[in-house]
Amino acid sequence: MAGGIVEKPSSGEVIHPKFHYLNKSATTGLKSWLVTLDHKRIAIMYLVAVTVALLLGGFWAVLLRTELLSPGSAADPNFILSNDWYNRSFTLHGAVMVFLFIIPGIPASLGNFILPLQLGAKDLALPRINLLSWYLYVMGLIFFLGVLFLGGLDTGWTLYPPLSSGRPVELNLIFAYTAVFILGFSSILTGLNFIATMHKLRPKGMTMYRMPLFLWALYATSLIQVLATPVVGLTLGLSMIEHVFKIGIFLPQYGGDPVMYQHFFWFYSHPAVYIMVLPAMGVQSELIAAYSRKHVFGYKAIAWSSIAIAAIGFIVWGHHMFVAGQSPTAGIIFSFLTFLVAIPSAIKVFNWVATLYKGNIDFKAPMIYALSFIYLFGIGGLTGLFLASIATNVHLHDTYFVIAHFHMVMVGSVLTAFLGGVHYWWPKMTGRMYNEFLARICAVLVFVGFNVTFMPQFVAGTRGMPRRYANYLDEFTIFHQVSTVGAYILGGAVVIQAGYLLYSVFKGKKAPPNPWGAASLEWQATSPPDFHNFTEEPITMGAYDFENWEFVSEDAGYKLKQEVIDTRQSLSKVH
Amino acid sequence: MMADLALGSLLPLAEAGGSFWFPPEASTVAAGSDFTYHFILWLCIIFFVGICGVTLYFMVKYRKRPGHKEEITSTHNTKLELAWSIIPLFLLMAIFGISTYWYLIMVTPPTEDVTEIQVSAKQWNWTFTYEGGALPAGKRFVVPQRLHVIKDRNYQLIMTTPDRDVLHSLFIPAFRVKQDCVPGRYNKLWFRPTITHVEATGDPEVGFMLYCTEYCGRDHSIMTGMVFVWETEAEWAAAVERDGDIKNIEDLVERGKVIYENNCASCHSLDGSIPTGGGPSWQGLWGAEKTAADGTKYVVDENYVRESVLQPGAIVAEGYPNVMTPFDWGDQNEAYFEGIFAYMESLKE
Repeated sequence: MAGGIVEKPSSGEVIHPKFHYLNKSATTGLKSWLVTLDHKRIAIMYLVAVTVALLLGGFWAVLLRTELLSPGSAADPNFILSNDWYNRSFTLHGAVMVFLFIIPGIPASLGNFILPLQLGAKDLALPRINLLSWYLYVMGLIFFLGVLFLGGLDTGWTLYPPLSSGRPVELNLIFAYTAVFILGFSSILTGLNFIATMHKLRPKGMTMYRMPLFLWALYATSLIQVLATPVVGLTLGLSMIEHVFKIGIFLPQYGGDPVMYQHFFWFYSHPAVYIMVLPAMGVQSELIAAYSRKHVFGYKAIAWSSIAIAAIGFIVWGHHMFVAGQSPTAGIIFSFLTFLVAIPSAIKVFNWVATLYKGNIDFKAPMIYALSFIYLFGIGGLTGLFLASIATNVHLHDTYFVIAHFHMVMVGSVLTAFLGGVHYWWPKMTGRMYNEFLARICAVLVFVGFNVTFMPQFVAGTRGMPRRYANYLDEFTIFHQVSTVGAYILGGAVVIQAGYLLYSVFKGKKAPPNPWGAASLEWQATSPPDFHNFTEEPITMGAYDFENWEFVSEDAGYKLKQEVIDTRQSLSKVH
Repeated sequence: MMADLALGSLLPLAEAGGSFWFPPEASTVAAGSDFTYHFILWLCIIFFVGICGVTLYFMVKYRKRPGHKEEITSTHNTKLELAWSIIPLFLLMAIFGISTYWYLIMVTPPTEDVTEIQVSAKQWNWTFTYEGGALPAGKRFVVPQRLHVIKDRNYQLIMTTPDRDVLHSLFIPAFRVKQDCVPGRYNKLWFRPTITHVEATGDPEVGFMLYCTEYCGRDHSIMTGMVFVWETEAEWAAAVERDGDIKNIEDLVERGKVIYENNCASCHSLDGSIPTGGGPSWQGLWGAEKTAADGTKYVVDENYVRESVLQPGAIVAEGYPNVMTPFDWGDQNEAYFEGIFAYMESLKE
C-alpha cells in the first residue's frame, strides 16, 4: 500500500475525505440505511434509536419527579398523576430505561461503531446478524410503544408475579413480555457478534493484550449477554404462558412459587447491571487515558477486572432477595459473594486515578464526564456496601436509598460514560466538531443535576421513605423537592445536548482525523471513516502510546510522528 | 456523630425522636443495624475523600497549561496494585463479619416468652389478629392497620397473604426490620421493642410508621399503618379492644368502609370492575333489581345483603360462581350490618 495515511500527516495538511461511509455505500437513499450491512451505519441507527428511548424514559422520569413535588394524591390540588398513572409511569420509566437504553446503549451504538475500528478490522464478523439485531431492537421498541398506546402497564419493570401474570389476561402485559423476549435476542446476537469479531477478525499484530480496554470491557459484557440473557427470556416466556393458560409455575393459586420467579429474574437482571456498567467502564478507561495523555495504569488489572466482575456478577443475584423469605444461610452466602464484586470495581477506580499521575490533563467535555464518573461511581459503588451488608440492607431494602444507589451506578456512571463517549467519538462518527463551550457547560450541569437529584434520596431512604410510592409523609417533602429540581437540571442538560449535537451534524466545524491525540487505531482512520473503515492498513501500536502522536494545530488535530512512520516502513521492508 | 450534628441542624430530624440519618432506635436490633451503618459510612468517607482528594490534587497539579508536559511513568506497579486490592479485601471482610453478626441476631428469635401475632397483608391493608394476655378469654380481635405491642417483650409476626393476592412487605423503620409477605407461605419476623411510641412521639395517638415496601399495585403507597408500643399489658389490652371493636366507629358510613376494606374489597370493587374470581361490583348495587342464577328477580336491600353475607349460597347473582366465604361476627352482627348498609347506601351518591 502506497501513499495514503503515510503521506497525509507529513504534508501537514488535514484531509477531509470526499467520500466516506455516510455518503458512499452499495445502495442509495433510504434503502442505503435500511438494508445496510455497514457496522458504522447500523451503529448510527442504534444511536438514534437509543436516544429516542432515553428521551422517552427521561420524559417519564420528569413526570414522576413532578408528581412528587408535594405529598398527597388525587384529592389534593397539586395532584398531577393518579395512583394508577404514577404506577404506570414508573413502570414505563424503568422498563424503557433498562431494556431500551442502558443495556443496549453503549455496546450497540458506540461499541458497534468503534469495535471494528479499534481492532483495525473492516466490519463485525457477522454483518447480517448485526442488522438483524437492530431490527429486533426496533421491534422491541414498537412493542413497548404498543404497551403505551394500550394504556400503559402498572406491574413495575421487574414484572413480579402474582401482580403481573396473576391478573386477568391483559394485552399490554403480553406485549411487555414479548418486547423483553425479543430485545433479549437482540442483545444476545450483538454479544455473539462481538465475541466472534474479537476472536476471528483481529489483524496480525493485534494481540488480546494490545486491544484497547474498551474492547476488553465489551468482551466481558458480551460474555454476560450470551450467557445470562436466555434465562430472562425463558422466565418471561414461562410467565407469559402462565398468564394466558393459567398453569402453575410462579402463581401460588395454581401451586407455583413467586420467589422462584425472583431467583430466575435476578439471575439475569443482576448480571445485566454489569452489562450496563462494564461498557461504561471501558469508555472511562479510554477517556481518562486520552485526556491525561498517559498510558493507562495497570492495563492488565483493568482488563482482567472486567472479566472478574462478569464472572462474580453471576453469583450474587440473591442479594435482591434478602428479605423475600430465602434462608438466612443463603442470604449470608450471597452477601459474602456480593462484597467480592467490590474488589475488581475498586481496582478500576484506583487505576484510573493513578493514570492521571504526571499527566497533562485537558478538561475537554468528555474528560469532565470521565472525572464525574470517578466521583459518581465512587458514591454508587461505596453505597453498594451498605446494601451488600445484610444488617443494614434489611432496613434500606426497597427504600429511596436503593433508588439513589442504583441510579448513581446505572445513570450516574452509565449515562455519564455514554455522554462522554458520544462526545469523544462524535468527530469520528460524524466528521464534525461539537460546540466545546456548550458541551462543557452541559457536562457540569449533568454532574450537578445528578448530585442534586440523588443525594437527598439517600437520606430520605435511611429515614424510611419506601420506593414506588405515589404519596409520602410531610417529613419527606424537602428531600423530594430538592430531588425534583435536580431532575429538571439533568433533563434540561440532556435536551440541550441533543440540540447542539444535532446542530453540529449540519453546521459544525469539520473534524480532523485525530482531534484529541488518542492512540487507538480508530484515530488513524479519516473522520468520518471510509466505507471500508481504513483506506490503507493502519499502523499497529499500543493503544495508549500517546507519545507517537504530535500536536499540529487546533484545526488539524494531531498527526503521527514521522519517526514512527519511518520505523514502521523500514520494518515492513524487512518482512 | 459530627456529620449528624452539622447536617441535622439544617434539616428536620427523621420521624419524631430520630437522628439525622435514622428514625428513633426502638427495638433491640436497631442499634446493631445503625452501628453497622456508621461503621461502613466512616470507612466510605475515608476512602471517598481519599480518592476524590487525590483526583482533585492531580487535576490541579497536572492540568494542561502552557509549558506543562506529561511525563512517561511506569505503566503498572504490581506491589502497589496488590496492596490496593488486598487491603480493601480485609476491610470488606470486616464489614461482612460485623453485618453478619447482627443479621444472625435479627433472624434468630428467642426460644421462649415469644408472643405470636398473625399478620395478613391484602391489597391494600394490613390486619393484625390478637388474642390472649389481658384480653377477654377466648376472643380474637382483628385490627386493621394498627399493630399493638408491649415494651420489652419478644414478638414474632407470622405473616402471610391470601392465595389470590400479591406480594407485600412489612417494614417498620423504627425497628429496622422488614420481611416480605408471600402468598402460600408463612414468613416470620421477630422483634423486641425497647421504647414506647409515647416516649418517641409524645403523643399516644401517633405511633411508629409501618409501610408496605413491596410494590403491590394501585394503592401501594397508602398501604401504611402504625405501630403502638405500650408500657403495660393493661394499656395494650385496652387499645386492642378499642381498635378491635367496630362499634367504636360511630359514623356508620365510616364504620362500613372499614368493614368493607377488611372483608369485602378483595372480591367486590367500587368502580364496576370485577377482580378474578370476584363477585359483583358494589357500584350502583344498593336498591337495584337483579336476576339470580336460577332466573328469579330480587332487590338488593337490607334483607338480601344480610342473607348473602351469612349464607352466600342462598341467592347467587347471575353470571357469578358460588364461591363466597360466609361471614359471621356473632353478637357483633348488628353493629356490622348497620355499617355495611350505611356504606352501601352511601355509594349510590
